[in-house]
Amino acid sequence: MEEELGKPVAERILPPTEQEVLNEEDVKIKKYLRGEGANLEVLKDKKLKGQLSVIEDLYGKSAKAAAKVEKWLMPSEGGYLEAEGLEKTWRIRQETISHEVDILSRRNQHDIILPALGPYSLDYTLNGRYMAIAGRKGHLALVDMKDLNLIKEFQVKETVRDVVFLHNELFFAAAQKKYPYIYNRDGTELHCLKEHGSVLRLQFLKNHFLLASINKFGQLHYQDVTTGSMAGVFRTGLGRTDVMQVNPFNGVIATGHSGGSVVMWKPTSSSPLVKMLCHQGPVSALAFHPNGHLMATSGCERKIKLWDLRKFEVLQTLPGHAKTLDFSQKGLLACGTGSYVQILGDLAGSQNYTRYMSHSMVKGYQIGKILFRPYEDVLGIGHSMGWSSILVPGSGEPNFDTWVANPFETSKQRREKEVRSLLDKLPPETIALNPSKIGTVMAVKKKEKKTKKEREAEEESAIDAAKNITMKKKTKGRNKPTKREKKKREIIDKSKKPFLQEQIKEEEELSRKRPRSSEEVELPKSLQRFARKKTAT
Amino acid sequence: MGEVRQKKMQEKGKRSNNRKDSKVFQKKNKGSDKRRHNRGGPRLAPSLQREVNQMKGDDNEVSDFDEGDTFAGDVYEYEEAVPEEESRKNRRYDTVDNYDYKLPDDFKDEDVFSDDEEDIDERDGKRNLIEDSDDADPKNDDDGSHARMLQSITGMPREAFEGKKKNNVVISEAYQESEYNPSRDVLDGNGRISIDDLLDPLQGKPGYSMLKKRTHQTEKKSMALQAPLPKADLQRVERKVAYEQSKKEVSKWEPIVKKNREAPTLYLGEEVDLGYSTVGAIASEFEPRTEIEKKIASLVHDGKIMEAHRKDGSKLLELNKVSFEDEKDRQNRIAKMRSLLFRHETKAKHIKKIKSKTYHRLLKKDRVKGASAHIEMDPDAAKELAMKQEFKRAEERMTLKHKNSSQWAKRILSRGLDAQDEGTRAAIAEQLHQHATLTRKMNTLKDSSSGSSSDESSDEEYSDDQTEDNNHSKASKLLERAKDKTLKALEDGDEAPNSGLLALPFMVRGMKKREEAAAEEAKLAIQEFELLSKQLNNSETENIKTETTSGRRTFGGMKKSAPEPRKKTKPEYYGDTDDEDDTETREGVEDAGDDKNSSLIVDENIGSDILGADSKRHHSSVFKSFDETVRDPGPKTTYEVAIFASDTWKKAKNIEKKVDSASTATASKPALQGPVPKETVQDVDDQSDSDHELMVEGVFSSANNKAYELPSQAELIHQAFAGDNVEEEFERQKEEILNEENPEPEKPVLLPGWGQWTNVQKKKGLPSWMLEEHDRANKKRQEVLKNRKDANLKHVIISEKLDKKAEKLYTKTLPFPYTAKEVFEQSIRMPIGPDFNPTSTIGALNRPEVVKKSGVIIKPIEFKEVDTQRKVEEHKQSGQKQKRKRSKTNNGKSVKKMKAGA
Repeated sequence: MEEELGKPVAERILPPTEQEVLNEEDVKIKKYLRGEGANLEVLKDKKLKGQLSVIEDLYGKSAKAAAKVEKWLMPSEGGYLEAEGLEKTWRIRQETISHEVDILSRRNQHDIILPALGPYSLDYTLNGRYMAIAGRKGHLALVDMKDLNLIKEFQVKETVRDVVFLHNELFFAAAQKKYPYIYNRDGTELHCLKEHGSVLRLQFLKNHFLLASINKFGQLHYQDVTTGSMAGVFRTGLGRTDVMQVNPFNGVIATGHSGGSVVMWKPTSSSPLVKMLCHQGPVSALAFHPNGHLMATSGCERKIKLWDLRKFEVLQTLPGHAKTLDFSQKGLLACGTGSYVQILGDLAGSQNYTRYMSHSMVKGYQIGKILFRPYEDVLGIGHSMGWSSILVPGSGEPNFDTWVANPFETSKQRREKEVRSLLDKLPPETIALNPSKIGTVMAVKKKEKKTKKEREAEEESAIDAAKNITMKKKTKGRNKPTKREKKKREIIDKSKKPFLQEQIKEEEELSRKRPRSSEEVELPKSLQRFARKKTAT
Repeated sequence: MGEVRQKKMQEKGKRSNNRKDSKVFQKKNKGSDKRRHNRGGPRLAPSLQREVNQMKGDDNEVSDFDEGDTFAGDVYEYEEAVPEEESRKNRRYDTVDNYDYKLPDDFKDEDVFSDDEEDIDERDGKRNLIEDSDDADPKNDDDGSHARMLQSITGMPREAFEGKKKNNVVISEAYQESEYNPSRDVLDGNGRISIDDLLDPLQGKPGYSMLKKRTHQTEKKSMALQAPLPKADLQRVERKVAYEQSKKEVSKWEPIVKKNREAPTLYLGEEVDLGYSTVGAIASEFEPRTEIEKKIASLVHDGKIMEAHRKDGSKLLELNKVSFEDEKDRQNRIAKMRSLLFRHETKAKHIKKIKSKTYHRLLKKDRVKGASAHIEMDPDAAKELAMKQEFKRAEERMTLKHKNSSQWAKRILSRGLDAQDEGTRAAIAEQLHQHATLTRKMNTLKDSSSGSSSDESSDEEYSDDQTEDNNHSKASKLLERAKDKTLKALEDGDEAPNSGLLALPFMVRGMKKREEAAAEEAKLAIQEFELLSKQLNNSETENIKTETTSGRRTFGGMKKSAPEPRKKTKPEYYGDTDDEDDTETREGVEDAGDDKNSSLIVDENIGSDILGADSKRHHSSVFKSFDETVRDPGPKTTYEVAIFASDTWKKAKNIEKKVDSASTATASKPALQGPVPKETVQDVDDQSDSDHELMVEGVFSSANNKAYELPSQAELIHQAFAGDNVEEEFERQKEEILNEENPEPEKPVLLPGWGQWTNVQKKKGLPSWMLEEHDRANKKRQEVLKNRKDANLKHVIISEKLDKKAEKLYTKTLPFPYTAKEVFEQSIRMPIGPDFNPTSTIGALNRPEVVKKSGVIIKPIEFKEVDTQRKVEEHKQSGQKQKRKRSKTNNGKSVKKMKAGA
């Protein structure tokens, strides 16, 4: 309160630089306040008012502390390419970048040529430390990206279509010819997930511990990897597709189909949450911005579209085709097609994506999958001749939170994190389009009135049930047939009673309503004589 | 006291008897009312009684006295003793004379009346009150019966109605005069005991005058009392006062209660003092109680002793003074010793437990070695040992005792070493080894030159080379070395195997051809070397130039340099392990191969643009990728090579070393006799050739794709025509889903046959109510559809199905104190978990409403009178500092404590 009072004074006195710092802090505080507090003036309840004001005060303090923590503990800022004069950022090549960066970053520029085992797809762990690669012809490998050390490499001798890490680098799932399998770091096969069938694409929902897959027949499977139970099996009914992506913000899975539609799913309902027509041609790729509000899709009609998922409207349509799309942590969008990678950036912060960088591989390489490495300015490219990685300045989050993902995790930390994340595991029903609405008031919809038929049926069944009650055998004298009959009738009447009461109530309501309607119709007296008399009888 | 009083009363009674002829007895005791009431049966009318009393007062008196004498204090006896006839209560009817009503002389207004009745007031206020409310008829003959009537009607005691005429009422004295039954004159004005009477005997005693004065004062001051209010009013007043009082009492708690209510957290049982926390605190409280303790205390606290001790102690302390460092040193030493001892002990224990003989043998050996080490430390001992060893060496050289000269050894050797068993062979070898060790020249301190030193130095050189980066001279040196090697290879190239597979004529021919080619290459290479060495002088600047101006594909090429070595080493693992063995055995051949290969590398790296056509001859799988790039026409390759030739010198040693090792392995292939590896090489080459061709045509990618996925025909067709009527289909789908979620109302239909008997009915069609209902349903549906989220989005279907499983995650109704949904939702917008808040605030955010320690008695609330204004200010200053405010922090002056119960 004091500070609030003191602020205007400070504004007058402070030199511009400090003022700037203050403003910056204000912005951060606003961010951490997560919206505005309720208007307490309106409240009549004094007690509630007091309580809420105390709570709001605490929220404000917490936000301020958080802003300070951010200021002091997350000091590194992401870099980016800046063009001078006539230079264009997308003309800057990798080798020019390599001259400018440090040795460690230079190591991130590499091409690994593995021509024999076909196009590669890849996946990074959440902390970006490890990479799993899967060659189409059965080559699975685990690489420690910090020192480019091959941890394990093995050949499964059948088609591998996709690979995905589970919650940490110890486990990964590979979609193979017939079934997906789960392997551990040493390449030991742990599980064969036969229920999934021949899977085309795998995704892991880290907060819910769900492994999602879409198979050849367009069936979507959700499996809980902690208990092994199937959380949901749904037919998409839209045919075979290998375009599937999870929205990191809310855990909703989107699949792109040949009809140009993108369908969003959650594991607790068989009907899709959202179905949107994005393209005229088949959807070839799909990616979500980490904040969950932005989706990029590319269709075979050579268009890349950016969608605002809050309004379900197109923000931007770009020409071009992408076989694979990916958003970086900082919101850069990489599109890969053929042997050419283009990176789009929203540099002005105006939701308007423009060219940021481009990179072309050796002619003839076919890019299969591109993926930004978390917490690094690196883009991994899986292609037909192996994999490459290039530097994309400004793509990764520069500050990592060790409680969320730690690239320098020790095994002990990893274990602890595993336990913690298991404790924090979310049930599948928390997946919704807007998870921030959870906990708010959602009035249960009133039960619709039963139709007359239903009511009658119910009544009948109740009466039947009453009739079928077997009477106890009473002692002599009380077991007379007349008494029994009487008792039976009583029971039946009793069962009828609630229905009758209901009916009466309804009738009353109706009778109450009717006069009102007649009043409404009533004309002013002067005009009444002109009205047609139809209710005269 | 009681006795005294009785005495007085008796005296008074006697006096009054003497003075008065008539006696009116009346009882003023509370209990008397009742008794009178009981006795209200047949009795003489009061007027008659009065007459009788006047006529023969003495009789009555006498009889009274008799009664008193005979039946003193016995109520029942008395009743019996006086028969009804005698008591003259037979006559029930009043005389007529008494009917004439006459206002009594002393009749006064009611207000004044009370003045007159002062004495009665004094005696019994309550009765007076009742009397006032009732209008009394004084001097009425029949007032007794009237009173009785009134009494029976109102249910009030009789006295209430008797009023004034009481004075005149004559009642025979029923009881003996006593303190319980005061005589008439005691109760009446005259014979009453006044305060003066009581004070009389005190006359002359100290304090009497004061008492007297006070009594006078009270008499003077005594004023008329207000008539008491009716009971209901009185009670109301009382209640009101009580309420005010209790309100005052309660409202002083208000600020405290309010504060507690407003506090987000209550701390209960915080102020409990759990006693001493330190030994010092306990000791300070010690008080000597027993005798011995007291003695000790007196001794300890004796001034002299204390003083002496102080003086002495200081001296002692001075003597004891040890510097801090010394002490620390000592401690460290001791600690170290202790730890060493401990370790030694544990080790010894451990060793003692080991039973293995071999271990003990080894231990012994170690001990010996340790002794030798000791010798080394000591120069004299070392010298001695050296002498001894020298002696031994000399002896050995003289005797050659261990050079298989013994009979046993000779015999074994004559039999042939191969024939012997393992043990003997080992023994022989051991002997030889011993000989070698014995005859080995001891390294004295002085001598340093030996055969190996040169090697070392060369090694050093090499390592030096390695460590030095970006070194011009080093690059040139490398070139030099390469040149040398090629020359050497040219010279040595003639060596050819003269047996085995390679000796076959066609192999020989092939080899020759290859060698020739190699020679040519080598020559070219040498030329190149020279050229390069010339270039090298101004290479650095050029390098940079070429880099910046190069074509756009350069990146990929440059990158390749790194992964290559890895690939090159691959063939080693797969097919050529035996070849490697061969190379080890045949060093000469390998040498040649090596040289040739190095030339190859250089050739490829440097002169590929010149040698474009020739490069086909190098059939090595290792360089497959290189081959491709080399043959690939275009600026890319040239640049790449340039890079490798110039720029990569910086990392050269590293790579070259690898290349060398790889090449030794692989290059031996062609040089050696194995046709099998050659074939494989050929195969690979073919493959690469085909690859290359494909790439040239630009179809490489598609071919590669085909290998892994071939979309089915149907799929292709589906894909091709997917976008045809997508929108229509989507609209249709949307319609379907809408219908599913909000079904269209059923069309009204009549049961067939019903209501269609006549034409009129048919013409009318459906009844109007049915149509209306249908319309209403339709309208409702339209409204629902309009309210959908996707109502205005043509291309989107947002499901509005309720997820029953997710229902539990939402709040069904607004929680109690909230009245608006927005307020509630805004109040829960912030997560309060530890993951989302800094640790400094997390505690406050989710602190419970009541904080208490378990096992601590919670005391009732205490009253503290605190300045309310100041508190308000405090509250303003710190929003929630008040939480942790303890009673002790308040200054004691303004605080007045009070228990809740008090």
